[in-house]
Amino acid sequence: MIEIANLVKFHGSNRILAGVSLVVNKGEVTALVGPSGGGKSTLLRCINGLETFDTGTIRIGDMALHGTLGKPHPKAALLKLRQTVGMVFQQFNLFPHMSVLENVMTGPRYVLGRTIAEAEIIAKTLLHRVGLADKLHAKPGNLSGGQQQRVAIARSLAVNPAAILFDEPTSALDPQMANEVLAVMQDLAKDGQTMIVVTHDMDFAERATIVHRMVAGTIAKSGSPHDVLGEDL
Amino acid sequence: MDKPPSGRSLGLAAILFLALTVPGIAQDANRKSFRWGTDPTGGAPFIYADPDGKFIGFEVDFAEYLSKRLNRKSEFVKGDWDKLPQLLDQPTTDDEGIDAVLNGYEFSADLAKQYAPSRPYYVYRIQLLAHKDDDTIEDWVDLVARNGKPGKSVGVLGGTAAHAYLNARFEKRIDLKINPDVATVIGLVKDKRLDATVQDSPAARYFLREIPQLKSVGEAVKPGFYVLYVRKNDPKLLAAIDEAIRDGVRDGTLKAIYDKYGLWNEDQERLAYWASKPWPPIEADAVISDAKDDKNVERKSPLPRLAWELAQAALMTIKLSVLSFPLAMGIGLLVAVGRVFGPRWLGTPLGIYVEVVRGTPLLLQLYSMFYLLPPALAWLDMHGVWLPITSLSPLQAGVLGLALNYSAYEAENYRAGLLAIPRGQMEAALSLGMTPLTAIRRVIVPQAARLVIPPVTNDFIALFKDTSVCSAILITELTRKYNELYNFNRDYIVELVFITGGLYLLMSYPLALAARSLETRLSVQKTGGKP
Repeated sequence: MIEIANLVKFHGSNRILAGVSLVVNKGEVTALVGPSGGGKSTLLRCINGLETFDTGTIRIGDMALHGTLGKPHPKAALLKLRQTVGMVFQQFNLFPHMSVLENVMTGPRYVLGRTIAEAEIIAKTLLHRVGLADKLHAKPGNLSGGQQQRVAIARSLAVNPAAILFDEPTSALDPQMANEVLAVMQDLAKDGQTMIVVTHDMDFAERATIVHRMVAGTIAKSGSPHDVLGEDL
Repeated sequence: MDKPPSGRSLGLAAILFLALTVPGIAQDANRKSFRWGTDPTGGAPFIYADPDGKFIGFEVDFAEYLSKRLNRKSEFVKGDWDKLPQLLDQPTTDDEGIDAVLNGYEFSADLAKQYAPSRPYYVYRIQLLAHKDDDTIEDWVDLVARNGKPGKSVGVLGGTAAHAYLNARFEKRIDLKINPDVATVIGLVKDKRLDATVQDSPAARYFLREIPQLKSVGEAVKPGFYVLYVRKNDPKLLAAIDEAIRDGVRDGTLKAIYDKYGLWNEDQERLAYWASKPWPPIEADAVISDAKDDKNVERKSPLPRLAWELAQAALMTIKLSVLSFPLAMGIGLLVAVGRVFGPRWLGTPLGIYVEVVRGTPLLLQLYSMFYLLPPALAWLDMHGVWLPITSLSPLQAGVLGLALNYSAYEAENYRAGLLAIPRGQMEAALSLGMTPLTAIRRVIVPQAARLVIPPVTNDFIALFKDTSVCSAILITELTRKYNELYNFNRDYIVELVFITGGLYLLMSYPLALAARSLETRLSVQKTGGKP
């Protein structure tokens, strides 16, 4: 369902991505591991159109983004792409001026054009699913990091994306809170949610469908968790 | 050790010798100036610049004559017309202060309490002027609101006898426009942007001759006397001036001066009468007959009436502020969003807009709005360009000018606020599939708005006070009203200052309180806990 072919990205004269190709199938959990600076996060941000790339192609379903040599992508293509692929950030990036409920309602309301009542039902269901039914009216600032990240997951699920990209979702959390978030992610995986996860958490990577190790802008090794993570374990 | 005298000291000695032996030269160099206060702004035929930039006018010639009689050299000192008498409160030195006020100041019992009036040097009347094409104004009474038609707009120099006369005769039944500059008011009547103006007869005669589009309307009314004012503790100067005026009236010197400017008329015969009578007249008010009635009414304390008038002018201040500031915020927000999130090519023109608007004075912008924009609009209209408006009222020009000026400051406030929002907020919104505009509207701007409440409040309060600049374009707001009232109520200056200041404070302080409570309410929600 996601097909990346020969992705190359330069930052000035720095080559961040040096011809990355990979395929993500529907319902799979793909883990991207490897040392910092290997290009994992950049790859993820390219998939969601937050960054441009120079050459290569990203295909998602029937949509395609092509390398632009640094120029912005066409706007219409970006909008459609982002409604198909959600993203969860390391720093949560919740909207601090809205309540938890309102945060999750933003997608249905301002992207899908649902009514407030409809959006509220979607949001409440999802917040219930991530275990935050009792925090609907809290402000993000009053939540723990783990709670905030679970709200962020609910928020990205609310537009019903075909795939969700996780950019180091537990790196800013202490282990206890990380486990809360990982539990939610495992739950999603079990339901067949397509996910690409950049992670340093080996427990999670171990349960992925497929693991890619990225080093210096290329995929150094791909395969089952056991094959790729063997040397780390 | 003795040295032979050097060439330089020889030269000095020669000059000293000359100075001592040729008294004429030394006297001329040391001759004190007769320093007279005047306001040459649009002051024809009193004092105005000829095409070469040299100041001429019947008062310049008159001052020359006086100075010659005083054995001094004539030197005029510029000041704002309505503040000229105050200059007498300061001491006079060789290059500061004035000896006398000489600029079409009428004899008034009020002013005579504080400063010593000279004998009259000219008898003026008040003349109504209108545009030649305007057949709805054929007499004074035509100015009044009638048959559902609003009162005519009448421009007048603030604080003059003409101003007092219109106040007393018509009160609120005409649309009185106060302006500090005669030439500007005349120009507005010529352009049909004011219906009429009331001027002293010398100015009226001069402009009727210069500007063929004007006509004089009805009778010239209410004769009065132009006098000089000097300090009360300077009776020698007063006596010398009076002497000079009396002689000038008798030997025809003044007539010659007035003839030169086409200002002599039979009213001036009264100068000869008053040249030989005691001056000022014992019953001062009796001189100007129809002023007596107004004066009697004034015997009660005028303070409640003054406070009421100021409060009404304060309404205009509020109107200007609350109409212009939202507009400034709107324009400012668009400019800021354009600069922060817009395409690169938009950044430069918006940056230039901010710098130009921020870097030029508000007064200049208001002038351009009021005096330059309407002719431009009229020109465009004439050439078939469709326009939503083809003329600008003073209020519209004022609101537009203030909004324009403050939009630049607001743009910078909002830009700072927008830049303070972490990049992750925009990315999170975009990754949900929002369009950039929706993200800006729903996510970025609401957060930035909280940040900029304090500086924006600051600007709103500043704007409140800057509305006073609008008095330059015929809008009577609080400060203008204060200036106007104080000319006729010089005994109550302290009270007027306090009432006016109090009104400004009364308007701005609740605003500050409201902003602070808004700020507190929003910031509690935002910083209730850190992740």
